[in-house]
Amino acid sequence: MGRMSDAPKPDGGTVGRFRSIVLPHLDAAYGYARWLTRDPTEAQDLAQEAMLRALRYFHSFRGEEARPWLLRIVRNTWIDLRKRNGPEKLPLEVLETRAAEGPDPEQSALAGDRRRQVAAALAALPAEAREVLVLREIEDLSYKHIAAVLDLPIGTVMSRIARAREKLAVELKGRLERRDHGLPDL
Amino acid sequence: MDCPTCETMVDAYVDGELTASESAAFERALEACPDCRRRLEAARAMSGLLRELPAEPAPDLLRARIERELRTIAGASRARLPGAGMRWGAMAASLIVAVSIGWLGGSLVGQGGRETDELIAGYIRVAMSEHGVDVASSDRHTVKPWFAGRIDYAPAVYDLTREGFPLVGGRIDLVDGRKVAVLVYRHNQHRIALSLWPSSSSGNAAAKIAQRDGFALADWRHAGFEMRAVADLAPGDMRSFATAVDGAVDADR
Repeated sequence: MGRMSDAPKPDGGTVGRFRSIVLPHLDAAYGYARWLTRDPTEAQDLAQEAMLRALRYFHSFRGEEARPWLLRIVRNTWIDLRKRNGPEKLPLEVLETRAAEGPDPEQSALAGDRRRQVAAALAALPAEAREVLVLREIEDLSYKHIAAVLDLPIGTVMSRIARAREKLAVELKGRLERRDHGLPDL
Repeated sequence: MDCPTCETMVDAYVDGELTASESAAFERALEACPDCRRRLEAARAMSGLLRELPAEPAPDLLRARIERELRTIAGASRARLPGAGMRWGAMAASLIVAVSIGWLGGSLVGQGGRETDELIAGYIRVAMSEHGVDVASSDRHTVKPWFAGRIDYAPAVYDLTREGFPLVGGRIDLVDGRKVAVLVYRHNQHRIALSLWPSSSSGNAAAKIAQRDGFALADWRHAGFEMRAVADLAPGDMRSFATAVDGAVDADR
């Protein structure tokens, strides 16, 4: 990706192509942003910023798969925003709750305790483990595409996924035990 | 295959990333290795749980914000785009301008930005989507009962065809964390979204109409309901709409 100042200014035709190739992946960009930031408002800001950045970089798009290409920009934008704004100011507990809440509070209440526990456990994982699981299980990317998003060798992706799943299992087990201890026996 | 090798393959196996011969070798090794069988089950369980998490689509407001930016970049000369862009039409272009300059937030008395955002987002859903309504009918005796059991009040539902605003249908939206009835009307080619909910204040309040770039919003209180209407209409037409709603409510009392 070239420097910003080298980038040609996108014209109407570029925007038109961008609409048909990249914009359809907005849901994926937002979903990934949601798990990176763990906050719906910040996720919107991140997804918007990344989309505009993607448009500016669109001249360097070479017809590869658009979704991993866009998700990589989402991730790099997130890293830059964190450099600028510092890490999350909200306590992990709040982020876990926000991550576990769906778009519709009523729906997420009905969605059941297990899903909430899983979402909260995922939100509690360190970014390195969290994002690899989100890319694999929620965005459903292949190892090859995950490697492209994270700019890592495939072998590293493979071992990160293995470790991340173990971490998630430990986190989830801890949560379920803590919860069960907090509840009276039936 | 010894166990460390086997271990490194568990996750790739779960993810379908092994070649056919690697998979076969892994499956053979697995038979002799209870540890790896446990690891396989654990990895599969974690994968399955994560895949149950519901996907959350990009919010309508985010989509509108991005559309606004794309339009600005593409330039005013390309306000109308072919294909999917056409469905937005001039309505959406003016809507996006309206959102961008923030007039809605400023013009509504005593309201937070969040409610306004949600009303706009609701309008975008109504106006942009083929499925803008959950119950499609011009018959108030179909639309009104549809809300029963879905929200905790009975909205005033009237067909206003004679006044030039045929009823299209209804839907439910979240406004400020509360589920509210949204009635959708049509005026020529334009759609109108009327959100209404029981008011906590008494008395009527005349409709305040805000308007910019051909996009109108009305805010009033009548017969115990808070009314909010959003549409791509001239202010005069929006006022007629509010009058027609009030007239129909009054005629029925």
